[in-house]
Amino acid sequence: MVTITINGKVVQAREGEMLLAVCKREGIDIPALCHHDAVEPFGACRLCMVEITKDEWNGWRNYVTSCLYPVEEGLIVQTHSPKVIELRRTVLDLQLARCPNSPELQKLAAEHGVNSTQYEIVPDGDNCILCGLCTRVCARLGFHAIATVGRGHHKEVAPPLKEAPPDCVGCLSCVQVCPTNNITYEDKGNVRTIWGKKFELLRCSKTGKATITKAFAEALSTRCDIPIDYFDVSDDEHRRQLALKMGSLADWAPKEQS
Amino acid sequence: MKARLVVTPNLCTGCRTCELACAFAHSINRKPGRSRIYPLPGGSHEMWTPVVCLQCEDPACMKSCLVDALSRNEETGAIVLDQDKCVKCMACVAACPFGCSLYDAQHDLVVKCDLCDGDPVCAHFCPTRALEFKPIAPIRRKATG
Amino acid sequence: MRIKTPAQLKGLQKKCRADIDKHPRRVLICCGPGCLANGAQKVSDEFKKILKKKRLRGFSVEALAETGCHGFCEQGPVVVIEPDGTFYTRVKVKDVAEIVETTIKSNKVVKRLLFTDPATGKIIRKYADIPFYSHQRRIALRNIGKIAQCDINEYISVGGYQALGKALTKMTPEGIIDEVSTSGLRGRGGGGFPTGRKWATCARIEESPHYVICNGDEGDPGAFMDRAIMEGDPHSILEGMIIAARAVGAHEGYIYVREEYPLAVVNLARAVEQARELGFIGDDIFGSGFSFDLHINRGGGAFVCGESSALMKSVAGEVGEPRAKYVRSVQKGLFDKPTVLNNVESYTNIPVIIDKGGAWFAGIGTPKSTGTKAFSLVGKVRNSGLIEVPMGTSLREIIYDIGGGIQGDRPFKAVQTGGPSGGCLPEPKLDLPVDFDTLTEAGSMMGSGGMIVMDDRTCVVDVAKYFLSFLNDESCGKCVPCREGLYQLHALAAAVSEGRATEDDLDKMEKLSEMIVIGSLCGLGKSGPNPFLSTIRYFRDEYLAHIRDKRCPAGVCQELIRYEVDADKCDGCTACIVVCAQNAITGKKKELHVIDQDKCDKCGACYAVCKRDAIKVY
Repeated sequence: MVTITINGKVVQAREGEMLLAVCKREGIDIPALCHHDAVEPFGACRLCMVEITKDEWNGWRNYVTSCLYPVEEGLIVQTHSPKVIELRRTVLDLQLARCPNSPELQKLAAEHGVNSTQYEIVPDGDNCILCGLCTRVCARLGFHAIATVGRGHHKEVAPPLKEAPPDCVGCLSCVQVCPTNNITYEDKGNVRTIWGKKFELLRCSKTGKATITKAFAEALSTRCDIPIDYFDVSDDEHRRQLALKMGSLADWAPKEQS
Repeated sequence: MKARLVVTPNLCTGCRTCELACAFAHSINRKPGRSRIYPLPGGSHEMWTPVVCLQCEDPACMKSCLVDALSRNEETGAIVLDQDKCVKCMACVAACPFGCSLYDAQHDLVVKCDLCDGDPVCAHFCPTRALEFKPIAPIRRKATG
Repeated sequence: MRIKTPAQLKGLQKKCRADIDKHPRRVLICCGPGCLANGAQKVSDEFKKILKKKRLRGFSVEALAETGCHGFCEQGPVVVIEPDGTFYTRVKVKDVAEIVETTIKSNKVVKRLLFTDPATGKIIRKYADIPFYSHQRRIALRNIGKIAQCDINEYISVGGYQALGKALTKMTPEGIIDEVSTSGLRGRGGGGFPTGRKWATCARIEESPHYVICNGDEGDPGAFMDRAIMEGDPHSILEGMIIAARAVGAHEGYIYVREEYPLAVVNLARAVEQARELGFIGDDIFGSGFSFDLHINRGGGAFVCGESSALMKSVAGEVGEPRAKYVRSVQKGLFDKPTVLNNVESYTNIPVIIDKGGAWFAGIGTPKSTGTKAFSLVGKVRNSGLIEVPMGTSLREIIYDIGGGIQGDRPFKAVQTGGPSGGCLPEPKLDLPVDFDTLTEAGSMMGSGGMIVMDDRTCVVDVAKYFLSFLNDESCGKCVPCREGLYQLHALAAAVSEGRATEDDLDKMEKLSEMIVIGSLCGLGKSGPNPFLSTIRYFRDEYLAHIRDKRCPAGVCQELIRYEVDADKCDGCTACIVVCAQNAITGKKKELHVIDQDKCDKCGACYAVCKRDAIKVY
């Protein structure tokens, strides 16, 4: 165990734990747009930056992303010092210049006192903040269907060669993790369209309720050793069927009906 | 694990108190969550039975999770979903053969029974003891011969 | 034939030396990047042609050698005749026959090809006497220009690989690290981290395997020190790397060469093959039981891959994006294993340190910055080229004594050091010693050794704008402060340059710069605002002239300048009318020409072509 100080409070942490996790545990709210526990920390959004120092540093301070900084004995951390606040404001201000129309970004920026950007609006900006969550989660799931392409200001999230991604299964995880809801998809009839690729949507054979795509079901069946017929019906129909099964096994036998 | 949630269907009256208790016990910001337990018709003559996660030994939900968000709590025996890791891909919702992994649309979360961390509320509230959280003897497997 | 012992190597050295010394005279033709661009290959081919045809007694075509960069690129193509040390400059194909007749056959000089010192008017025959060379001390560049470019026998003839033999047979890994620590060698890539300490940290880590990497991604515009070493003396890098590998316990190494240096890749690959043949790379080197293998990787054309963590990702086949280095690469580097990464010039110094001892090296330079440093001296200096001086040499000595001062005797304005991450230093700072720490305090940095000299016709706002645009283009795009911040900083600099900015914008730029410095993930972002910060520190008035007066004092920023014909000087030669693409200049022959300001697009072609100095820029 390691002893550190956060905002004046002395806390204990496990060796090798990241500062962000410790702060979260202590109930300290730090914004972290590119962070998700399903994937490795990335350090791209810079919002989780904190100010650190140590007694032996003679007043020298460093600014580090708490998502990636492992705790050290004797670390003194400030999560909301003036410089850190100014940094968060600048980051949000710069992001607003790039994604001026994102309500989620506007809300987060407003919470930090930034109501509009003071910089030149980037032409043709969309709502992608390039946090990388969609691509990292897709890789984590083992599909690697999308990635960030291009360098610097031309960076964007796209499938290979900007064509329909061969490895995408239409699970919509990217849509779910996007902090600005920038990724769109369409479910129409039995077809799901996302990233320019069309998928067959499986429908419950009893109720017709749509569940997941056929491609996703096949991938799960193959990789996770799950019988493919599990995906034939929806969850509510599974529950109904279980109830009927349990009912038929109960002590109260049907033949006792009058 | 030391105890199991035991369901005795013929004692279930379909009163749905368990469903209510579960929903309230899993409130977020004072808004009730989706219940993880559902009394449903058992197929004949006023038969009802509560359908709840069986905490399978070979759980399809855990196998289907590609980000390892589902894991077994060795103490309670429950398969628990780590919300921080979940990416809401719905694999477990589709894979569970008993439909016990559910999507809570109100809170935009995937949820499943976690045995209330070892003290299930539904068992407390069931008026007929159709739901009981009972200690179990370790299963001794006969050697196949 | 594999060399198994140092004694065997000494024997081979004798033989190689004899092979070279049997030629009473040698012709060394510089085929470094500058001279090649000026036609040195054709000169070399002409020499070969003539020497093959004529049978000169005691002189065969084997006495010809194509060498790496001799350094005096301004005077290229350079041909040196040894052992006299005669230095011929600006040699053209048509001069070759005369050189063969006059110097090689008859031992006389071709006067018009010798160097004339512009300061004294003296003609100097030997390069060692030329001030450009006499002020230098070449350690990293010791062999370049003196031996054939990619020839292991020539390298051995001057003592090559003997340091490796000593390190493997007479020293322990700890002993090697001690020697390097004593030398005080600090990373020559610009970071200045003590090399001995880096190796010691890696050597201590138990996790294996360990790797050694050579960073040959030299991306700073205007820098070509590493290129000269990789092309001209690749074996010195190999030797340094193998010694490093022995010290830190690595058995595999990688040299990462930037995509834009194909000849370096070819020469390094050839060198590796030659070293393998003689047994310096492979199993049981020098019979010590130590094995080592070396791979060469090409970059993909990204400046950011010069950053060590991005470089390692690139070597591993992933996208070259840096990572936050709170856990250092010596602990988790290539493939997440302990890795030592050093610059080309750092490795080149290693064999000399092992051979002559760390204490000898520490005696050169300054106590905190020991040894020498190679610089590419370019820009508005008279003598541009590749130089090496002891640390602590002043900027003034470099620019004036070696560089020969400013072309056209124009006033000195600033010297940009350290590449895009560095900064501009003005005239009052010229007496500062060049080392790792002093320039950084002054707001610039020594960096990897790029030195761009500027005169009064350079606009610092334009310079800042250029470097910001470069860095913005090369940013990997992962983190917000660098990707968006440098984009906005560049936009604001452009606004200043175009006369659209206000003084509030300067405040904005300064605040934004501070946030980019604190907030960026890697060195590219953290030092990104330096071009702006250093110029605003010393040249604030120039920024204000652009903002308040809408004027560019240096006459560069197109939106703010105008070209006018000086009536007193114009003689009506029509040269400017001919080049003007906008047909903005009117006037008959022998009559005063006039520029129509509405049509003029400020391209500056007329200014460049006028031989009467009759075009003025305001």
